[in-house]
Amino acid sequence: MNAMPGAAGEAGEGAAVPLLRAHHLAKHFAGSGAAVRAVEDLSFELAKGEVLGLVGESGSGKSTLGRLLLRLIEPTQGRVEIDGVDISALKPTPLRQFRRHMQMVFQDPYGSLNPRMKVGDALTEVLLLHGMSSRATARDDAVRLLGQVGLSADFLDRYPRAFSGGQRQRIAIARALAPQPRLLIADEPVSALDVSVQAEVVNLLKDLQQSLGLSMVFISHDLSVVETIADRVMVLYLGRPMELAPTASLYDRPAHPYTAALLAAVPGAGRDKRRIMLKGEVPSAAAPPSGCVLRTRCPFAIDRCARELPALRQVGPGHYKACLRDDLEL
Amino acid sequence: MPPSDAPARQSAVLDVKDLKVFFPTDDGLVRAVDGVTFSVNAGQTLAIVGESGSGKSVTALSVMRLVERAGARIAGGSIVLTRPDGSSSELTSLSEPEMARLRGREIAMVFQDPMSSLNPVFPVGDQIGEPLRIHRGHSRLEARLAAVELLALVGMSDPLRQVDAFAHQLSGGMRQRVMLAAALACDPMLLIADEPTTALDVTVQAQIIDLLRELQQARHMAMIFISHDLHLVRDVADRVAVMYASQVVEEGPVDAVLGRPAHPYTQALLSCIPRRGELRGRTQRMQPIPGSMPSAISAPAGCRFHARCAHARPVCLAAMPVLQTVAPAWSTRCVRWQELTP
Repeated sequence: MNAMPGAAGEAGEGAAVPLLRAHHLAKHFAGSGAAVRAVEDLSFELAKGEVLGLVGESGSGKSTLGRLLLRLIEPTQGRVEIDGVDISALKPTPLRQFRRHMQMVFQDPYGSLNPRMKVGDALTEVLLLHGMSSRATARDDAVRLLGQVGLSADFLDRYPRAFSGGQRQRIAIARALAPQPRLLIADEPVSALDVSVQAEVVNLLKDLQQSLGLSMVFISHDLSVVETIADRVMVLYLGRPMELAPTASLYDRPAHPYTAALLAAVPGAGRDKRRIMLKGEVPSAAAPPSGCVLRTRCPFAIDRCARELPALRQVGPGHYKACLRDDLEL
Repeated sequence: MPPSDAPARQSAVLDVKDLKVFFPTDDGLVRAVDGVTFSVNAGQTLAIVGESGSGKSVTALSVMRLVERAGARIAGGSIVLTRPDGSSSELTSLSEPEMARLRGREIAMVFQDPMSSLNPVFPVGDQIGEPLRIHRGHSRLEARLAAVELLALVGMSDPLRQVDAFAHQLSGGMRQRVMLAAALACDPMLLIADEPTTALDVTVQAQIIDLLRELQQARHMAMIFISHDLHLVRDVADRVAVMYASQVVEEGPVDAVLGRPAHPYTQALLSCIPRRGELRGRTQRMQPIPGSMPSAISAPAGCRFHARCAHARPVCLAAMPVLQTVAPAWSTRCVRWQELTP
């Protein structure tokens, strides 16, 4: 790979200056047997104000990657730069101070909100911790934050259990936005919600991303949701990138068999429509196949796929794929 | 012609009429299922769809008579199972021992999470053969041989080896295949599948959905498929019943209901889910349904959807709409459907 796959230019003026750079990131989890290779040699950039969707099935490494990007876990190899700062090299105190610039929203707002803390206290705590408010202004700032996520000031003195799943996710978003981060990582933020609530929360994230000019990594297994919010999408399988492309190219002209199979498996294609079906299930990340990691499930695998590790290479404007075959009609 | 177009000429395997299932709680009586009517024919799949709290799973568990264990009471209505020989049973009046003879033999069920339905300390083969030992008096060896055949039927590779596997050694998709093998052991007339693929990855979900559909058709089984996913229902069902606030608000052939919905809730639910290519780009917005589902303790008067409905009129608050016929075998609980359906 010559250059790092960069932004597609859809993100507007800031596209030239990346907000985030991941260099050859890898994460191996040691266990009783062989190490689990959750993420392997991943490099990419995120432009300022850009939304990158990370999609993949369980075991794809997408959540591990999200945590690596914020240095919530330490990489086995590689480094992450945010706004030119190599966060991999930061000592604990400067890292803690830098954290205000990079925030995360998780799938389960129950797990990320302290059940014994009133919503107002949860928000003022973050505001004070990061020096965003003084004691005198914290409560007003908390009200403003609630307003930003579409909740009224009545919520301040209530506990998380009093709220619906959608309202709790709004509170979690308000808490993540409190320190005015530059980077927001949303890890399956709507997966636990009913579809009508999903639509509300996606709209909210989309509005906030645009009004605040946030750079965002949106992690999801749901291709339909990612399509509505992402500027570019990276498809992961067994810790490796399969395809990276602007959203429209990826969904309209998938270049990798894995992406094509994922798109064909989205429900509603119709029961009589033949799909590109993958065989079996995801193999263990402790013993990934040689060569292309998809080859054991890929209907198009040839002998070469077992021998060669396909590099991510450009196949169109901003469109990269890691597949040896160029002769496929997908 | 698919069976969905001719339900009247087919015999219903299951006929549910005006079913009411209530849970007494400290906060009041939860009317989890409140006057639900539907039927399923042999060789046909009925999907019951709805959001969480709509009553779809309680409806399924009521057919299995598993709700009483959870503290509920079947407060009204009937559930009639009719066999190919014409004999029938009113399930709501069966005793627990009578129900136990029927469960797993004539009606079987698969759940969302196979890990919690499979016993971790016995090989999966024992659990697949268990219904045959209980209901058919199979010996241990006979049950084991049958289990191997069933594992092959559900597409497990190397069934002779997998019959001795334990649940924890299998992937999520393989566990769901095992559950399906156990459910099919006694060749049930009716299979109830409650969100059977919700915990699976999409590529594995596609495999299991294809398998379910194949087996259901090959065995001419009736199937009730419970799901929150309207699009998934398109791939698997002949008919669909849409539940909202403990009631069925629309029921009909799947292509009709999802293609030209005749209830504003079905329309709203469909427009929450973006179609490929429809909502790309920064200015496009998804269309959520305003508000939230009313409590099953104090349902509003009139149409239960009126507070969230863009088309509500005073008439919608006056009385609860009865099911209106849109076309043969297609009904909606909306008094304004004719004005609202293009």
